[in-house]
Amino acid sequence: MKINLSQYEMDLVRKGLGREPNEAEWLTIDALWSEHCAYKSSRVFLKSFPSTGERVVMGIEDWQDAGALDVGDGWAIVLKLESHNHPSAIDPFNGAATGVGGIIRDIISKGARPIALLDMIRVGDLSKSRNRWLLKNIIAGIGFYGNSIGVPVVGGELAFDSSYDDNPLVDVAGVGVVRRDRIIPSVVKEAGLKIVIVGLTGLDGLGGASFASRKLSGEDEIGAVQIADPFAGKIVLDSTLAVVDKVEAIKDLGGGGLVVGVTEMANGLGAVVELDKIPLRVKDMKPEEILVSETQERMLFAVKPEKVEEVCKEFEYYEYPCAVIGEFVKEPYIKFLYEGKEVVNLPSSLLLNPPRYIWNVKKPIRKVGERPNINLEDVIRKVVTHPDLVSKEWAYSQFDYEVGTSTVLKPGEADSALIELPNGKLLAIKGDANPDLCAEDPYECGKSIVAEAYRNLASVGAKGIGLVDHLQFGDPRKPEVYYYFVEAVRGIGEAARFFSTPIVGGKVSFYNENKEGKPIKPTPLVVMAGLVEGKFLRNKVFEGLDIVLIGLTRNELRGSLLTKIFGSFGDVPKARLNEDLLASELVIRAINEDKAFLVKDVNRGGLIASLFQILIKDFGVSISTKNIISDEEDILAKLFSENGGRFIVLTNDAEWFMRSSKGIHVSVIGKVVKESRRMRLDDTVIDLNKEVDQYYNFLYEVMG
Amino acid sequence: MKYKDFDPDKYKAVVLPGGFSFGDYLRAGSIAASTETMKKVKEMSNEGKVVIGICNGFQILVESGLLEGALLPNLSLRFISKWVYLKVIRFDTVLTRGLNKTIIRMPIAHAEGRYYHKDVERAKSLAVMQYSDEKGQVTPHANPNGSLLNIASIANEEGNVIGMMPHPERASFKLTSIDGSTDGLLLFRGLRRLEN
Repeated sequence: MKINLSQYEMDLVRKGLGREPNEAEWLTIDALWSEHCAYKSSRVFLKSFPSTGERVVMGIEDWQDAGALDVGDGWAIVLKLESHNHPSAIDPFNGAATGVGGIIRDIISKGARPIALLDMIRVGDLSKSRNRWLLKNIIAGIGFYGNSIGVPVVGGELAFDSSYDDNPLVDVAGVGVVRRDRIIPSVVKEAGLKIVIVGLTGLDGLGGASFASRKLSGEDEIGAVQIADPFAGKIVLDSTLAVVDKVEAIKDLGGGGLVVGVTEMANGLGAVVELDKIPLRVKDMKPEEILVSETQERMLFAVKPEKVEEVCKEFEYYEYPCAVIGEFVKEPYIKFLYEGKEVVNLPSSLLLNPPRYIWNVKKPIRKVGERPNINLEDVIRKVVTHPDLVSKEWAYSQFDYEVGTSTVLKPGEADSALIELPNGKLLAIKGDANPDLCAEDPYECGKSIVAEAYRNLASVGAKGIGLVDHLQFGDPRKPEVYYYFVEAVRGIGEAARFFSTPIVGGKVSFYNENKEGKPIKPTPLVVMAGLVEGKFLRNKVFEGLDIVLIGLTRNELRGSLLTKIFGSFGDVPKARLNEDLLASELVIRAINEDKAFLVKDVNRGGLIASLFQILIKDFGVSISTKNIISDEEDILAKLFSENGGRFIVLTNDAEWFMRSSKGIHVSVIGKVVKESRRMRLDDTVIDLNKEVDQYYNFLYEVMG
Repeated sequence: MKYKDFDPDKYKAVVLPGGFSFGDYLRAGSIAASTETMKKVKEMSNEGKVVIGICNGFQILVESGLLEGALLPNLSLRFISKWVYLKVIRFDTVLTRGLNKTIIRMPIAHAEGRYYHKDVERAKSLAVMQYSDEKGQVTPHANPNGSLLNIASIANEEGNVIGMMPHPERASFKLTSIDGSTDGLLLFRGLRRLEN
């Protein structure tokens, strides 16, 4: 197996240990010190995130597998977001499926019942057959696991960029519910507890954490990919939730396998594990393979000796393997024995204290061109039919998005998903990223994606309460890549503080590069959760409703979909968070006073893309462009700028918005008309019938 | 209720809900069909008790021979989640007896729901619901998965064993319904009508 440690790190180990580690010990250190598990290059900056708040039950500083937020009546939600990018590049079906399984096990590790998933997928251009193959199998893999295990995929994103050609991004977020006082820790506090493993250990996913912490080599790395078994996952889910009262700590065996699970659970204490006692899927596995196997559907429990039998009985009902493999001890050493001999004997302190890195940064130089001379009608047709904006029904119809009967707003229905919680409250949840903007200005982008998520939640009537993030970049040792990382973290942290939406958990994924070593576009992603405090909105369209634009349009086109298609020009949009907050508050009030029939955030594709959402419902719009209030008189800016702080609202009481606005521009820009799929802009009528057809059919036609 | 502890003598009716029994690894419903639990369900159906199969439950009933025909992979070879309209054509089953609506709406969510029967006439006589459009027209366009005669649900001749691919339980609550309708509840009320 490959080892990723640098010469510097290996010397550090030898010095700390005073001897040369054996092979099994090198593998152990490699897993624990992998970027994936140790946050070597990121932790210094992640610590700047706002992580406290009155609703935070379990935050990022607890460094648990997931974060938790109070949602009232004694209930908490558990949030977790993680990618499975590298496995999905090699085996998209199993890579994506095990990504779902991993998230679900992270949630049950806290004693919470998983109730919803979101998936955010980014692949290269679909004109390439390999990208179609990747997407088809990623979607099928997510469906295979989520559908079988009975957790609905309630929302997500699907977007395209050639920088993901070799390295697709597969992000999965999960939401669980748990009684606030019943959250189970992932770490032990006392020695003497037995270490119990459930599930079989096999030969898949060997050294997966290390694999995820380097760039894809292009060599055969299929052995590092895990295989998905959702039926086993379902048994683990049900049985784990049945034993939560009988265990002291739970940990999913994910990245890094057993060595990481045991060491992190011991959390500074020691552990002695007998590898011969681990139930194996195949005979004759070497001890080194058992140590770092990442076979899925395994959990680790810390159990009081007298409760072990009760715990295992629950799993054995379903003929699921359960075994005591060792115990936690006072002496702070992690020991693995095999046939009575010590295979690994390393101090906990060495394993849990990897080096920290602050790499050099360098601001990349971005090429900016001139404003192109383009035909407006042409631009409209091109923008609204961009694959990022088409209907994603082909994808989400493959997910059982209603299992559990708590999905209030279905995929494709609104800018945010909405689910019912056990206490009757409604939880809105949305994931947002903007790699094109992040490539231009990661700091503004970091702020913008948090603001966009906040607005998306507001558009269904919910107020954000907290978020999890996932930061995806190339090789952090490259100064330009690290600049993106540091700046994005700064932006996300600042906005999260502003909106009082603490960051309760997160992950970092570096080394996302193509075969030539070119990094992906920086793709930090946030998933925000919020609660509906009064009414929620189910969008409706009627003829004759006024179209109200909330917020000021600015001539800031850089990083927009328009410039992605026609070439970069103009200023970078600044995130003016107060505008997002005020506009969101106005929208939530409108929903509660029954003044809004449809609310759509203005973002990707600008105002045109938001208006197009009315056309797809077989209505038309008539727009007076002079009423679009903008800081400069440029028609491209008015129609395609993606600056924040804006919504369109359909209403029969436009006057109410004028009266109720606090510091936010409001103008009536037009009306919904019955001429289906037609957009009237002043005196020009554009028939977008074909474009609406393409909206619905594009993915079905391309993906077959 | 855990499946190994199921005692059929305690119940008048059994509902096999949707899901993925045993991961549906071999073929949807096939492993579950050969369990001890399903022998007990068969006893219930032989005694004339009510047996309802929804989605995977329907697949299990077909696999275990309690209902005729087969459920093949969808024509698109994809899993399909979608709200559909159904035309009710048989009113002598435990779910549809006394139903005062013929076009109902609820979602489907399955990968193997294409109903097949080698005897078309027989299928016609057993069918309880067909995929239709909003107006109740049974068109190829309204057929989401390629089912024979757009069949979404069948029952045995007696009407005490019924299977359906659509999910009535997901169309039973106003809040989570796509349009506020609760047609699924109308079917479950058939069970209450049975009770009286």
